[in-house]
Amino acid sequence: MKASRFILTVLLSTSLSTGAMAADVVKIAITGPFSGGSAPMGISMRDGAKLAISQINQNGGINVGGTRMKIELIERDDEGKNDRGALVAQEISSMGDISAVIGTVNTGVAVMGDKYYVEKGIVKIITPAAGSASMTQWSKAGTKDLPIFRFAAHDGIQAQMVVEQATRLGLKKVAILHDATNYGVSGRDDLIEQIKKQGGKLKVVAIEKFAIGDKDMTGQLIKAKVSGAQGILLWGIGPELAAVASGKEKLGFKVPMIGGWTLSMSNFIDTAGAAGNGALMPQTFIEDESIQRARPFIQAYHKAYGVAKIPSPVSAAQGYDATMLLAEAIHEAGSTKPTQIKASLENLKTTVKGAIADWKKPWSKWDPQNVETHEAFRRGNTVMGKVMNGRVVLANPSEKVVLEGKRVK
Amino acid sequence: MLVRVNLGLREKTAERVMRLTLFFCLAALPLLWHGEYALGLLTLMAVYGVLLIGLDATVGYLGQINLAHAALFGLGAYGAALAIQSEVPLPLALLVGIAAALIPGAVLALPALRLEGPQFALSTLSFATLTVIFLNESESVTNGALGLSIIRPSLFTIVLNSTRFYWLCLLVLFVTWWASQLLLRSRFGLAIEALRDSPTATDALGIGTLRHKILAFAWGSALAGLAGALHAINFGYLQPAAFGYDLMVILLLGVVFGGRRNQWGAFAGAAVVTMLPNLLSNRTLFSSLVTFGCLLAIVSPIRTLLSRKMPSFRQTAPVAAMGGALALALFASNVEEWRKGIFALFLFAAVVGLPDGIAGALTAILRKVICFAPDPLPVATGGIQPAKNGAGLALQALNLCKSFGGVKAVDNVTLEIITGETHGLIGPNGSGKTTLVNLISGLYKADSGSVEISGVRPIPGSLMSACSAGSARTFQNLQPFSGLTALESIMVCQRYGGISEAMGWLHVVGLEAKARLRCSEMSYGDLRFLEIARALATRPYVLMLDEPAAGMSKPDIIRLVDLVTSIKRAGITILLIEHHQDVVAELCDRVSVMDGGQLIALGTSDQVRRNPKVIEAYLGSDETAIQAKSEIGAQLC
Amino acid sequence: MNAEFLALAQMAVGGGLMGMAYALVAYGFQLTYAAGKAVNFGQGELVMLGAFTGLSLIGIGLPYWAAVPVAMVAGAALGWFVERAAVRLALQQRNEGWILLTIIVGLFGVSAAENIWGRDDKPFPVPWPEGALEFFGISVTWPELAIASGALGIMALVELAKRYTMLGIAVQAVSADPDAAELCGIRSKSAISLSWAVSGAAAAFAGTIIAPVTTVGPTMAAALTLKAFSVAVVAGLDSGFGLVLAGIALGSAENLSGFLLGSGWREAPGLILLILALALRPQGIFGKKIIRKV
Repeated sequence: MKASRFILTVLLSTSLSTGAMAADVVKIAITGPFSGGSAPMGISMRDGAKLAISQINQNGGINVGGTRMKIELIERDDEGKNDRGALVAQEISSMGDISAVIGTVNTGVAVMGDKYYVEKGIVKIITPAAGSASMTQWSKAGTKDLPIFRFAAHDGIQAQMVVEQATRLGLKKVAILHDATNYGVSGRDDLIEQIKKQGGKLKVVAIEKFAIGDKDMTGQLIKAKVSGAQGILLWGIGPELAAVASGKEKLGFKVPMIGGWTLSMSNFIDTAGAAGNGALMPQTFIEDESIQRARPFIQAYHKAYGVAKIPSPVSAAQGYDATMLLAEAIHEAGSTKPTQIKASLENLKTTVKGAIADWKKPWSKWDPQNVETHEAFRRGNTVMGKVMNGRVVLANPSEKVVLEGKRVK
Repeated sequence: MLVRVNLGLREKTAERVMRLTLFFCLAALPLLWHGEYALGLLTLMAVYGVLLIGLDATVGYLGQINLAHAALFGLGAYGAALAIQSEVPLPLALLVGIAAALIPGAVLALPALRLEGPQFALSTLSFATLTVIFLNESESVTNGALGLSIIRPSLFTIVLNSTRFYWLCLLVLFVTWWASQLLLRSRFGLAIEALRDSPTATDALGIGTLRHKILAFAWGSALAGLAGALHAINFGYLQPAAFGYDLMVILLLGVVFGGRRNQWGAFAGAAVVTMLPNLLSNRTLFSSLVTFGCLLAIVSPIRTLLSRKMPSFRQTAPVAAMGGALALALFASNVEEWRKGIFALFLFAAVVGLPDGIAGALTAILRKVICFAPDPLPVATGGIQPAKNGAGLALQALNLCKSFGGVKAVDNVTLEIITGETHGLIGPNGSGKTTLVNLISGLYKADSGSVEISGVRPIPGSLMSACSAGSARTFQNLQPFSGLTALESIMVCQRYGGISEAMGWLHVVGLEAKARLRCSEMSYGDLRFLEIARALATRPYVLMLDEPAAGMSKPDIIRLVDLVTSIKRAGITILLIEHHQDVVAELCDRVSVMDGGQLIALGTSDQVRRNPKVIEAYLGSDETAIQAKSEIGAQLC
Repeated sequence: MNAEFLALAQMAVGGGLMGMAYALVAYGFQLTYAAGKAVNFGQGELVMLGAFTGLSLIGIGLPYWAAVPVAMVAGAALGWFVERAAVRLALQQRNEGWILLTIIVGLFGVSAAENIWGRDDKPFPVPWPEGALEFFGISVTWPELAIASGALGIMALVELAKRYTMLGIAVQAVSADPDAAELCGIRSKSAISLSWAVSGAAAAFAGTIIAPVTTVGPTMAAALTLKAFSVAVVAGLDSGFGLVLAGIALGSAENLSGFLLGSGWREAPGLILLILALALRPQGIFGKKIIRKV
């Protein structure tokens, strides 16, 4: 009898409390992989966003047309799996009172799930997913009114930088190793396209594929070695990239590794150990307290989550800044309605000071012919990072100015 | 205590009414309750319903752990998706989906279904893993790990919005349910139950274990393909990894938890599997449900404790499992992350404590509360018919030899039985009598020699072949179909005729009154008679009885003699192995005697009894007898 | 030509060494099958839990040489638990419910591991030097050598114990005929439990030697169960050292097919071989055929 009374009380109190809160909150959903191989990125993004939310809520919330509204957060784990992502998107878009969604790490999830948001007109800021397909799917479909924005350095930029870096190192022959997911395959395509665009100075002597979960890359590496590759261009995620690094060590195949930003994932750095040192990747944010702009965010994150190192600094900082931008947009819209938030995001009046940069109108009105209208980052925001002794540092100290300064269009 | 309600309804009718009501309610739901998400869940539930009914065919009815089902589901989905991409009309795409699962399923079935237990599970698991690899690697066809997208097609000219597609899935579920019930509660279903209880008897009586297993597996695979096709259309996006081991375990959870060998159970399981992920995100609801489950589980061990006995593992394990689930529900920081663990605990509790699943438990309760009218039994017809007389010798076994390792169990034995004869086969224990019968009936393959039954040479080592040639047998160690009733045991063996003919066979052996008694509850003597009735029901040319009187009481032996006499009078050829010499003497025209694998005598009962070699075989030689006598004498003196 | 051949040889050797780990896990199957005709469909999960336990023990400061035996003790306890919870009931009832039950226990093990240790793959620290040795142009890492020597060592140890200790002989008696053994005063239940405990310890050990090569994660051993089964079936569930040969063969075949056909196909030959072996010769190449008796 006690049990049922207890249950009844809990049921009643939860229903009452949700009723009471309904009036002055703005509901935001954060989705991403909080488990699985992409988890460091998902968790960091979420935690960065939550840091922003807690700071906003501590200051009383967002001023929406005169009322102070606190942000209420709904979290959903898509596990990095496309079908789960679709279900999560369906669930959120059917909730009816969600103003905006922030998140997604895996390109496939964005490809599968975002259509539900577009159908319902719910605003989504994709971060940190970098695969081009997440946005090009809309320009291909010719969608007129798009509520999807991306806040990350997309693969077009990253591939460009990777190829530039390889050329700068004087490499002539390279091997491309990529994973079998949407991210890996589109990354490979982006790389090949960039090599062509930059004058075909690099010769691709081997293209090898691996699957998520593969631990032994000896086969692919032998083929790369045998074909005379002087460097490896990598597109995959942490655990498999680490396997490539250790496999390389085993074979005594000492060539540089350059790849997508996923080489900054903690599960790559920790697992590869010394074998991962020297890996180069594009970064929008470096966890380096000597960078003035970044210091407050880094310290706040470390304090809030009791860690000495952010699992995926780029994801965390992007999550943080995206939330700040969203909050500003809601404030300028004076409403929690997605359509108005969308218009506001496309036309931000105030410059938002973020951990990454000062954001001045990062997005503009959607034009299906030009994906860049809903892309916040440009080549000028991004620097090369390097793995060194368990952390990511600036590969080129001269690029520090980029991280300190304003956004370059 | 419990009031029994008498509805005057037969159980079958009641079930049909319930089923129709369920589908009516399900179909009406979208009209009353608007919500895309809910509709999506209901559609998923319908699709899973079809899928689990298919899985139940192997896991429930055949009792084998089929780990290939999720992969076949995937193959069906991809097949249908590719068909839709090629602009094939919807109904045809569904058929393509069925074929895409059925054909590989059949290819798997041929090697796999000769296996049992863990080997079967293993071969299906290998197949499943291979399928996912194949789907992943065939990038040009399936787009590999990136996934395959399709646009929802229309049904002829009708656009399938969510509600209409839901109704389509519901329709498919209804038809599937009805068809499965029809199939699996018919003689086919009886055969499947029989082959679980005694595969040897099932083959020896001509029912055929392999063909039924293959058919059941094929049915399950076809349904998996159909469900896959619906799934592809429902989701519009397929990925190989989604059809792997994780899904398979969820499907097993559904079937076992819902209730095996039961279409209602499959449906209940589908509902659980669809709702469970959502249930997990609502902690209060989930905790309440688990508490309820815990309380249910704890009833049984508390009762045992109250009667001063220690509760068994079967009673305590479910409590421990549900208790673990409750602890997780209350204390885990994120219940969602323990999803697999919670599934595991539920499944464990179900397998150990609720072997018939929810549906089984509810049916049991319903049966206690409601008194259903029994199905009427028709009057017995038929009985022992005069045999069709084949030409010449009914049985001709020439120079049969069989060795096991170094032991010559049957050494160059020739046995010729004239049509209509009752031929006895006697000899001391270990003389090779049963081995000889096993050779003739096809259980073993002879090393050399030949067998002809009524002029037909069956395939050596094939029980089915021997049975179709016209032999039928009973077994020295009883091989009953314990899960079937006496009537069902006969019906499954009959080649022609219905219930009344089956009742006729029961009447012949005097078991008419026990028609609805389950074999597991029948007495030893009755089971012996039932075995004879089973064999007779196959209308054999040669009936081989292996020690039918063993362990029988005197009155039953008299009944047996009467029965065999009436069989004899009908002109059926009989080969009778027996130790009871009086029975042999009364019934047999001629007797063959075996000892040490060899045939040592042949003649009438009297001739054989006086044969010194026979006496020596049974009682030892005169010399040893004299020596024994003198030794005993010496001790006495 | 030479470089190609060397590449193939490299793949074959690397695979063969890894295959010894499969043989060790398959050996665990042999032990439990001999005792009670049951195998643990969740053996891969025991391997994974053993690896994680070893990792945690090293993490709290235990040296490698102490952590591994303690992990083996934990593995033995888990093996005993699996038998008690998932197998005994089915054996008593003489049905095959243990198939589903061991799958379930394994599933719970994965879930527990995900929540206790997290879902990421972690590196496993070893006292061997980093880098590789070279034999005739083929690179072999220390952890790979450890797999081979460890697997052989443990199997040899258990085989010696089976033959030369009273306990081992008692277990063999129970394997041959549990009823007869009971009549001689041997508690067959205890013998079966012991076999499962030893099998669990072997699995845990396998986890600690595989982890340095594959990293430790909840999914590290998902595929391992099936591969070990392949080895056990092809060699035969009562074949002793036939397992080692089958293991080496399977590991090499896997690596070579991955190299030649593409990494996605590497498991395919092993799986096809398993289905064929089950269909054509279920007792294995080295096993004995069973005769039906009615």
